Parts: sequence; structure tokens; C-alpha cells
Amino acid sequence: MAADTGWPGCAKSLKGVILDLCGVLYDSGEGDGTAIPGSIEAVKKLKASDLQLRFCTNETQAARDTFVAKLQRLGFDILVSEVFSPAPAAVAVLKERALRPHLLVYDGLLPEFDSVDQTNPNCVVIGDAAEKFSYQNLNEAFRVLIGLEKPVLFSLGQGRYYKETDGLNLDVGAYMKALEYACDLKAEVVGKPSPTFFQSVLNDMGLQPHEALMIGDDLVNDVGGAQRCGMKGVQVRTGKYRPSDERHSTVTADGTVDDLAQAADAILNHRH
Amino acid sequence: MAGRRALKAVLIDLSGTLHVEDAAVPGAQDALKRLRQASVAVKFVTNTTKESKRHLLERLHRLNFDLQEKEIFTSLSAARSLLEQKQHRPLLLVEDSALEDFAGIETSEPNAVVIGLAPDHFSYQTLNEAFRMILDGAPLIAIHKARYYKRKDGLALGPGPFVTGLEYAADCKATVVGKPEKAFFTQALSDLGCSPNEAVMIGDDARDDVGGAQNAGMLGILVRTGKYREGDEKKINPSPHLTCDSFPEAVDHILKNLL
Repeated sequence: MAADTGWPGCAKSLKGVILDLCGVLYDSGEGDGTAIPGSIEAVKKLKASDLQLRFCTNETQAARDTFVAKLQRLGFDILVSEVFSPAPAAVAVLKERALRPHLLVYDGLLPEFDSVDQTNPNCVVIGDAAEKFSYQNLNEAFRVLIGLEKPVLFSLGQGRYYKETDGLNLDVGAYMKALEYACDLKAEVVGKPSPTFFQSVLNDMGLQPHEALMIGDDLVNDVGGAQRCGMKGVQVRTGKYRPSDERHSTVTADGTVDDLAQAADAILNHRH
Repeated sequence: MAGRRALKAVLIDLSGTLHVEDAAVPGAQDALKRLRQASVAVKFVTNTTKESKRHLLERLHRLNFDLQEKEIFTSLSAARSLLEQKQHRPLLLVEDSALEDFAGIETSEPNAVVIGLAPDHFSYQTLNEAFRMILDGAPLIAIHKARYYKRKDGLALGPGPFVTGLEYAADCKATVVGKPEKAFFTQALSDLGCSPNEAVMIGDDARDDVGGAQNAGMLGILVRTGKYREGDEKKINPSPHLTCDSFPEAVDHILKNLL
């Protein structure tokens, strides 16, 4: 039985698979970016199987319908309703707690917050703002926080860095840490690896954690986050993967595969 | 004091201790003169990320303090000596006004990152460049890690948050060279040929000046000028060797009791 609890033996009892997007399906870059070889076919095969499939991303540079349309143009069989991203989750939290955000996010993400009152802000929301992470803009967010009696900072994800076609870039996590240090506070993370976020995906599939597998390129946030929820986590050697990930001090993936195509084949082969 | 050797050196903080903004602390110039008549070495030590030694000297001369450029040791000097010692070629993220303190340091094909406070350089682009170097193994050297500072238009982010962000992203630890690091104080004393237990530090910052110095084995005297706030002396353990009203009183104490 031991073989069925590890990777890829565990595929036998799986009922759902969750895929990260950037670095697993495609690499971002100029224009729409490029699909990772074999991934379009892999998504198709997983969808045609009896497994449930969802997509879980910390993408915060564009509104959900915009980046889903981009993936469709790249050739992926993917629907908005299958995709979980931090901004809609943050909007739900803001409304529930009647918070009015100061937003430090990429322009493309702003439409997601159209329905939220942003006057006289009493919290700050940061996403991957890329070139909008200027000293000036960070300082504005800092001043809002330091001026609040009870400063609240939401971070859409806490990734350290990600890969663009021209190299690795700082992700929102670096700027979250900067504001945490400046204001001596702890941010609330919305998105991966927050257990609430993974749980919302499991709820949508109606599955228990042990019935689902997460595949991602980010060892800590995808793999580690999923494992802490009780799911299996498999890392692909694409996207931001670095060989040192396989010797990480705190997170060990249940399996490591070359790419999504190899992961999909391993899963489907073990189910026949 | 038991276990201490005769006093050989006095380290003096600048802003908040000798002067507050553009005004000298009353009696400070004369007190410095009295101190110089005693047989102790004097050095001026400060955390700055943007003011060159020349700039600091000009301000102190305008306020009629008697000192020379070679007596000033700043967090920029500490960064420079670390770079020289390790033969690093730095990417310098410091204000243009601080660059002259790095004159002569080789900066082509950089293999180290030095980060001060440089609002003009803290763009996404430049921080990405620094991050990629660090991830490839370049050491991260921080002038200091202050959280924020006061500007005329309000509070503004200091270098600390950016250092912390880079540390997190690259999963590394910066080498901090300014106060309150132990190495800062021992370096400041090194060319005076005296050890920490032969030296005393006078400053207005309980944590960075007094706590740092005492942690390095020196005595620390806290003055109630500059950024001092009621009760600051209770914020550090062990408490300051002495807390007094201002620099002249600190000098009198040294002349009377420590020599």
C-alpha cells in the first residue's frame, strides 16, 4: 500500500487536480507569453479524464477574465469559472469586514476592485505591481498604514520572485516584507499559500484535501502550501524552478517532474 | 570601574548630540575643546546613507566645531572598508551625494550589492537587478536598516524595508555595517589602537549609540538631546553607563571620573 500513498502511486485514489498557471502552463513575457511545450495537450488530457480540474494562481497583474482570455488565445481549454485568483478573494474579505482599501496593484487589476469603496482608506492591499513599485508609491502605502491606529495590510500572494522571459523579477512578497518591516506588522496573505484560499478551491470541487493534488513551479507557495492543507504537492522543473529547490530545508515535494506533460502522463497512467 | 582599562578614546555621535539640525547643542564646542586637552583620542561616528564625510565636516565647521575629516567615521566609511577588505566591486544603491566616499572603488562588473537610502534608485528595475545579483551569490551589504525617517513632508521609508525585502526574496541575510553593529564600533576604534574596554561612546540614540557601543564592550553615555525621549534609557539592557542632559555634561563626567 505504501506505493499508493507516495507519488505517483497516489494518483490512483485522486479525485481532483489543481494546476498553477504561470510557470506550469506558460511562461510570461512579451505579448501573451509562450505555452510550455506539451502543456496544452496535458490540460486537454486531464480534462478528458474522470478527474476534476481547477486552476489556482497568484496572478495579480491582470483581471481574471483578461488573463483567462490570454490563456485561451495560447490554445488552452480553460474557463473563468475554473480559475481561482487572489483579487476576487480579497474583494470578498474587504466587503465582509467593511474595509476600504488603498490599492497598490497593477493597473490591469484595478477593474476587479470596481465594486469596493476606496474613499478614506483604512487598509492597504498590495499585489504584484511591477514597475508601479516605485519608492513614491511604496511610500504612499506606508504612510496610509503608519497613519492608521490599527494598520491592516493585505498581500495578494507572498511569492519571492517569478520568471519573465528576460530573467527573474521580485514578486509581491518582497514588497510585503518591506512594508511589514517598516510598520512593524504582519500582513494577511490572500492567495497561495493561504489555507483559506486552497480550501475555497477544494470546496468548489467538493473534495477532501487527501483527494486532491497540486502541481506548481513554486516549491514553498504551491507545493508547501498545498501540503499544509493536507493535499499532495508536485513540483515541475519549469518556470521559477531552481535545482536547489530539491534540497530545500523545510519543504519536500511529494514528487518532482520535468514538466506538466510528464506529470499528467504519470497521473493518468497510474489510473489505468 | 572593575575590569576596565584607562580610557583612551571617546566616540561622539553627530546629529542630535553635537548639534540638532542647524544649531549646535549649547556649550558643545567648548566641551569638545576641553575634551581635546585631555589625553584621549576623539572620533566622530554617525549613521548616514547620503552625507559624505566632506559634507558632514562642512556643516560642523559652520557650527564652529574643531575637527578634521580623518576623525569622522560613518556607516559609509564602514561599508567602504568592508568592500576594500573583501575586494568587492559593488553595485552602489546610494544617493549621488554619498558617492564621493566611494571614490576609487572599482565598480565595473559588480559582484556585491551595497544598499543605502536612495529613493531615486529604488525603482522596480534597479531592485530587480540587485536581486538577480544576490540570487547569483553576490553579498548584500546594508549601510543600516532604519525603518523610516522624518522628512519635511512627513515620514518616509528608510533603507531597512528594502533590505528586508531583498533578504526575503533571495533568502539571504544582509551584512549591516552601521550602528548598532559591533563591527562598526570596533572598526571605528581600530586605527586608534585601542580596544573597546578602553573607550566610551556618547550619543542620543539609546539603541544604536549606547546599546550598540555597550554590546561591543564600550561604555555608553546617553544624552537627553536630539531624538532622546523620556524613558529611552530604560529601553536597553544593561542600562547606559550614564544618562545626562547634554554633551557638555558627558564631557565633564569623563574628565572627572573616567580618566
